[in-house]
Amino acid sequence: MGQKGFFTDTTLCIGCKACEVACKQWNQLPDDGFHFTGMSYDNTGALGASTWRHVAFVERPVPLTGLTKGGIDFSWLMMSDVCKHCQRAGCLEACPTGAIIRTEFDTVYVQPDVCNGCGYCVVGCPFGVISRREEDGRAWKCTLCYDRLGEGMTPACAKACPTESIAFGDLDDLHARAENRVRKLHEQGMTDAYLYGKDAENQPGTGGLNAFFLLVDKPEVYSLPPDPVVPTMKGKRTWGMVALGALGMAAMAVGSVLLGREARS
Amino acid sequence: MGITFGRGGATNFQQDLRNADCIIIQGSNMAECHPVGFQWVMEARERGATVIHVDPRFTRTSAVANQHVPIRAGSDIAFLGGLIRYVLEHERYFEEYVVAYTNAANIIREGFQDTEELDGFFSGFLPDEGKYDFTTWQYEGVGGTVPAGGHKHIYGEPGAGKGGEHEEGSARFEAHKDPTLQHPRCVFQLLKRHFQRYTPAIVSQVCGVPEEQFLQVAETLCANSGRERTTAFCYSVGWTQHTVGVQYIRTASILQLLLGNMGRPGGGILALRGHSSIQGSSDIPTLYNLLPGYMPMPHARQGYDLDDYLKDHASSTGWWSNLPKYMVSLLKAWFGDAATQENHYLFGHLPRLTGNHSHLQTVTDMADGRVKGYFIMGENPAVGSSNGALQRKGLRKLDWLVVRDLTLIETAEFWRNAPEIAAGDVRTEDIQTEVFFFPAAAHTEKEGTFTNTQRLLQWRDKAVEPRGDARSELHFVYHLGRKLKALYAGSREGKDQPIHDLLWDYPTHGPMAEPSAEAVLQEINGYTVADRRVVSGFSDLKDDGSTACGCWLYSGCYADGVNQTARRKPAREQSWVASEWGWAWPANRRILYNRASADPEGRPWSERKKYVWWDEAQRRWTGEDVPDFIADRPPDYRPPKDARGVDALGGADPFIMQVDGKGWLYAPSGIVDGPLPTHYEPPESPVENALYGQQCNPVRLEWRRRDNPLHRAWDDPRFPFVLTTYRLTEHHTAGGMSRWLSWLSELQPEQFCEVSPELAAERGLTNGGWATVRTARGDMECRVLVTERMRPLRMKGKWVHQIGLPYHWGVTGRLRASGANDLLPFVADPNVEIVESKAFTGDIVAGRQSTGERAAADHSPAEPLPPDLPELRRDSPSVGDVPHDAYQEHLEQER
Amino acid sequence: MSDSNGNGETLLDRLQRKRDGRNVDPALGVLSGEGSQQRVKDPEGAYPAHGQQVTHLPSRAEPQREDAPSYYGLPAVKEPVWIWSIPTYLYVGGVAGAASLLGLAADVMGGPRLAKLGRRCLWVGTAGDMISTVLLIHDLGRPERFLNMLRVFRPTSPMSIGSWVLAGSGGLNTLGVLLAHRPGWMGVVGRSAAAGAAVLGMPLAGYTAVLLCNTSVPIWQATHRALPLFFMSSATAAAGSLLSLLPHAPHEARVLRPYRLAGKVAELVTGVAVARDAARVSEVARPLKEGVSGALWKTSRVCSAAGLLLDVLPGRSRWKHVAADVLTTAGALAARFAIFHAGKASARNPQATFQGQRQGLGAAEVKGNTLAADGKPLKFPLPVLR
Ligand SMILES: Nc1nc2c(c(=O)[nH]1)N[C@H]1C(S)=C(S)[C@@H](COP(=O)(O)OP(=O)(O)OC[C@H]3O[C@@H](n4cnc5c(=O)[nH]c(N)nc54)[C@H](O)[C@@H]3O)O[C@H]1N2
Ligand SMILES: Nc1nc2c(c(=O)[nH]1)N[C@H]1C(S)=C(S)[C@@H](COP(=O)(O)OP(=O)(O)OC[C@H]3O[C@@H](n4cnc5c(=O)[nH]c(N)nc54)[C@H](O)[C@@H]3O)O[C@H]1N2
Ligand code: SF4
Ligand code: SF4
Ligand code: SF4
Ligand code: SF4
Ligand code: SF4
Ligand SMILES: [Mo]
Repeated sequence: MGQKGFFTDTTLCIGCKACEVACKQWNQLPDDGFHFTGMSYDNTGALGASTWRHVAFVERPVPLTGLTKGGIDFSWLMMSDVCKHCQRAGCLEACPTGAIIRTEFDTVYVQPDVCNGCGYCVVGCPFGVISRREEDGRAWKCTLCYDRLGEGMTPACAKACPTESIAFGDLDDLHARAENRVRKLHEQGMTDAYLYGKDAENQPGTGGLNAFFLLVDKPEVYSLPPDPVVPTMKGKRTWGMVALGALGMAAMAVGSVLLGREARS
Repeated sequence: MGITFGRGGATNFQQDLRNADCIIIQGSNMAECHPVGFQWVMEARERGATVIHVDPRFTRTSAVANQHVPIRAGSDIAFLGGLIRYVLEHERYFEEYVVAYTNAANIIREGFQDTEELDGFFSGFLPDEGKYDFTTWQYEGVGGTVPAGGHKHIYGEPGAGKGGEHEEGSARFEAHKDPTLQHPRCVFQLLKRHFQRYTPAIVSQVCGVPEEQFLQVAETLCANSGRERTTAFCYSVGWTQHTVGVQYIRTASILQLLLGNMGRPGGGILALRGHSSIQGSSDIPTLYNLLPGYMPMPHARQGYDLDDYLKDHASSTGWWSNLPKYMVSLLKAWFGDAATQENHYLFGHLPRLTGNHSHLQTVTDMADGRVKGYFIMGENPAVGSSNGALQRKGLRKLDWLVVRDLTLIETAEFWRNAPEIAAGDVRTEDIQTEVFFFPAAAHTEKEGTFTNTQRLLQWRDKAVEPRGDARSELHFVYHLGRKLKALYAGSREGKDQPIHDLLWDYPTHGPMAEPSAEAVLQEINGYTVADRRVVSGFSDLKDDGSTACGCWLYSGCYADGVNQTARRKPAREQSWVASEWGWAWPANRRILYNRASADPEGRPWSERKKYVWWDEAQRRWTGEDVPDFIADRPPDYRPPKDARGVDALGGADPFIMQVDGKGWLYAPSGIVDGPLPTHYEPPESPVENALYGQQCNPVRLEWRRRDNPLHRAWDDPRFPFVLTTYRLTEHHTAGGMSRWLSWLSELQPEQFCEVSPELAAERGLTNGGWATVRTARGDMECRVLVTERMRPLRMKGKWVHQIGLPYHWGVTGRLRASGANDLLPFVADPNVEIVESKAFTGDIVAGRQSTGERAAADHSPAEPLPPDLPELRRDSPSVGDVPHDAYQEHLEQER
Repeated sequence: MSDSNGNGETLLDRLQRKRDGRNVDPALGVLSGEGSQQRVKDPEGAYPAHGQQVTHLPSRAEPQREDAPSYYGLPAVKEPVWIWSIPTYLYVGGVAGAASLLGLAADVMGGPRLAKLGRRCLWVGTAGDMISTVLLIHDLGRPERFLNMLRVFRPTSPMSIGSWVLAGSGGLNTLGVLLAHRPGWMGVVGRSAAAGAAVLGMPLAGYTAVLLCNTSVPIWQATHRALPLFFMSSATAAAGSLLSLLPHAPHEARVLRPYRLAGKVAELVTGVAVARDAARVSEVARPLKEGVSGALWKTSRVCSAAGLLLDVLPGRSRWKHVAADVLTTAGALAARFAIFHAGKASARNPQATFQGQRQGLGAAEVKGNTLAADGKPLKFPLPVLR
């Protein structure tokens, strides 16, 4: 089995959305409604319960260092976003029912028959990925094509990508490949290129992402958080405060009873 | 390209792009329209190639290119002409290549006059007919017309269609060459003079490209061409859909010949074709003037028989001297045993041309009530073709219409929900046309081949049975033919004889009696009549009736009785050329003219760009690919003076389809609007032609009709902006296959226009809001996408705004909008009758103000030209009134 | 444009749509996978780029501040999907927990004179637990879904812990109500159960804060230190006020008064702490100042302050007391709704996520890293594009 994941290299993306459509087709997801958003060529907006791959289009009034030549002060970034299959997954750690599991491929999978729609994973995800379906409220997100992996197939999105912007494979291979890629891009002058979420060192708040990215601008530009953290990392402190509060509450209760009683006697 | 190199197909293949050192994508939005092939561009970029995208808009291609050059739509000849001038001026051409492999040294007749002298005309213009006489354009010392692309397939070309009246060209042209390229009338000097005007300053004035940027592109191009390096060009309909579209491609062809980039890996000109098998549909054509394999359709003329035809079209030298073999084999394939030498193989049964039968002309004829019935199979002209309202007007005047499609497209529904019906200008009750809709089987539901953009035939199996009443094209046509044969079985009339004689014996299978696509492919491949054994290639074909072949060009696709097109050997198990994947015409060659990848002595030009070379030991041409040459003809072979046919090709003549084996920098014939490309403005332009007194292509096709109004030639105050139309990745052409599918529809849900922030500010447009775009033909509501990807261009001190309009939407399907083609006029290129859809003018206003009125429904939404503004002439006053009407009327007047 | 507006349809239109526009089996076009039954929220008008003037080009992508990039101003994390019953539960659960706790103290230390108070507290706690469960089920949609919560125990999930706490507290309280007054071993069981419920009452009042703070919602995460204290003291104040509003004996009032006053004071103080925690990042604090949540928060602060003030003002009027306790109750309820809506608002604002993390409130807070994911210093604001 081994650890599987995606390395999405945005410098190779041509914004064709084949990944988005392949995902919807394979998973038989409904459309998000027909709305012209005015956000460049992006008319689906964000990842959600019915959109598990989403291609972002960023129009920037600056050239892309190392690529743009010829005095053009403009560039257009495209990035195919997906569930990150975090090493420490906020959704999984938040789920009270055990509906979200880590699979034998080290991916994060929601079992639709177990999910009971509490919606806690939705706020547990630091990337705004997982979302609840409208009527029965169950939560959905990219499965990393669990059904296809089981058959030894490549995920639908990666399969459809014409430029290998989405690379699927063993995490170790992807890491090596990604590092080479960054090195090469730097040599070519694309000094803005960096890896987002490659491993725990790169992204301590999530322990690294099984689906990590090569980006050329600040994470925010792609709607990615700059220093995401799985919320549970702060849980201990919060529980500590609850313990403190409990002491306080007990003191108040005991104190008032004692006060009230003494006043009588 | 057919004229310049001899064959009309893309000269290389997409996988070969990875070998390029520079790729110029111009007139194509390759990443959006050919995303799968684009991976090879990305790979080239990753290998260090420079990718340049020249396009009016900053597109997804520009986004991943190294350089984007914003250009005014309709001005590419000026840009490419500027590059040619740069190459000549700075002596950056590949001299050895040019001298050996092109007609640079040929000397042109004395009477020839260039646009330089005639202010935008070549000598030989016939103002009363609106066309050129080619006589003065010819090579000195050659009698008659030099056949272009080996034969005269252009209609109306002097010498063509006249039953052998023309003189036979002498076999060789050596006597009238100047290999030093110094003769003032040699092609090379002509070229220099012709492009002298195309200076960087003019380029910037005409195209709106700053001089520095232009020079940067020129330098990159030159630095990446030559012995060690190659540059590839990619184009598509951003070039072809103009009134000078063919000349756009000619300009690029000249440039690539000068730089020595043809026939070599990582070089060439990649024509990116559209529909999945659009290349196939010109090889085995759906075009009215061609027979399979680019053999010309005969003209209607009394007593014109096979001998006349063969005399007319077989060239004395070059590959096309084989035409008789191909023609006779075709007739044998069609008429079988009935075709004999005595009855001229039933050549008389072929339909004849009586004039222009192009799509546009046919539609105007329909609108004028001259056409009774119409089959539409896999096309959606009510949305996809120019002047949509005129298209629908044509449909309204038919007696019957057959539409075969996957969905109830606008063309099948024009009678109930067209914009002019919504506007109340046309009433459904008044339409008499009887519409028959046949559901078609989709590509997954039938077997057969596609011929893709790189001439590659790929066999595709049937994945599922068609549902319900859906049937394949093959099924429809075969059974229609069968029924017709049965219907006319009793008829003894002479005009029905072709139906009797037609060989129609395809085996069928399955409960639906589906004809065998493989049997069809075998017929296309060709077979020996006697024992029905498949031939191994076109060299096996004979002109004595012993072979039959449905399309000589595809001969070999079933060689050895194996379906070569079904080969699917993975790339990693073979060389990078992947010759064992599918089958490419001709003879499975992947790069055409690849003889030119070696020097005249047959050695590779360089180790880096090695491809096909002469193996002295084996005395054969060998290399990565199937050599595009006579396999055993040594480089030093020089044909004897009296050599005919293929023997007349020298060992260093790589363009074997041409009579002289050379790449044509200068086209003495074959192209009706001039031997050299010349910049003309589109029929509707924001500016006057800065180069010549003649504004537009003088031989353009223009339909001057009330239902096809044009704007002022330039500077029309009603229509100040340049409009251009194009595709989006998310949809497919007229939308029949994408607007019905929610997953694609949600990605681009509404008709929109792309405008620059500057234009938005000028016209009060808000992002995401509504706007109405107007021309004299009609108007259209759409959403506004304000984006810096659109840039106003600075030309001659004036700002020119361009508006981008994807054209995928119509009035049926999940998404509804009025189509962009309702804005376009009928005006076309005279060579191939392709309509100008990439550069015209129009106006834009904020808000939803569409009236639904259409000029072709007797209601123009546009106000007339203010009376104080004069009309401006498209043709220079010096030539008087030129008729540009379509050919048909012309011909009728003549009769 | 898109047919979703559906006006002016003809019969043919409808037929065509019904048959998916094809003259073939319409089942061909029907989605069939498990995810396909979803109905998607109509997001029309939700796009920040819509209707923007040209001075505010999407390509600049900086809707909030000149120098703060985001993706067209779209949220970076998902908004909580919960409905009104959740903030209501936050209040009810808190009251239940604090009441149970007081009941235990009264029982154990108050002697027989406070037994009645103890029993009342037990009842309030039990009723609170019941109502809480109903409220949660209302949000979940189906009763068995609450039971699903108890399929596993997952220490990393405050919701899992909370479900167990609520279930435990509810069960024990019920046992207490049923058995505590019985003689013999049944009484012992009942009283022990009640004691257990009271002990669970503390986490019941506090875990809801952890539930909120343990999310990516910027303001909830940012207030993870103060919020539990706030919720717990607010629960005390609210329970005290509620018990005071219920009929009670004068000697019981002597217990209730210090209880609720302590709670009220603590609530006000920790409320300030919450606001200060949030105020470390201006975009995070914004929802406490603006919009629905801002108004609710201000209302809640005013009510709570007034509730305390009235309470400590001299005077023995019954109405004064009622007013004070009602104000406190309103303040506590409004505070829950304020925090809830502030969470929604801060999740909608991408800058609340980005700015907080750039200011060291992301992983840096626990991991001490100083670099953002792009390898650049976390420091905010970022250099401006261009
Ligand atoms: N996804 C998708 N792919 C398709 C199709 C589709 O509909 N959808 N259609 C297929 C078909 S049928 C075809 S023919 C091909 C067409 O492929 P393309 O030719 O690549 O497609 P277009 O978008 O029509 O036009 C290409 C570009 O030409 C630019 N252009 C317009 N005028 C000019 C000009 O005067 N000069 C220059 N240099 N550029 C100009 C436009 O801005 C546009 O970006 O695509 C095929 N592929
Ligand atoms: N303004 C403007 N107009 C243009 C262009 C432009 O760039 N600008 N481009 C032009 C170009 S290049 C092209 S190619 C045309 C395309 O224009 P059209 O050919 O008119 O449009 P399509 O939508 O491609 O039509 C193909 C139809 O075939 C159907 N179909 C698919 N498969 C099958 C099959 O197997 N059998 C049958 N019978 N039907 C099938 C589809 O459902 C679809 O309706 O548009 C042209 N029009
Ligand atoms: S990205 Fe979000 S939904 Fe995906 S695994 Fe990580 S926390 Fe879960
Ligand atoms: S909504 Fe479903 S998957 Fe998400 S946390 Fe609740 S039970 Fe788990
Ligand atoms: S891995 Fe599968 S489920 Fe996930 S985005 Fe790709 S196609 Fe969709
Ligand atoms: S398929 Fe690949 S290239 Fe196309 S949008 Fe997705 S990631 Fe980008
Ligand atoms: S639609 Fe077909 S032809 Fe066009 S890019 Fe995709 S695979 Fe190639
Ligand atoms: Mo096309």
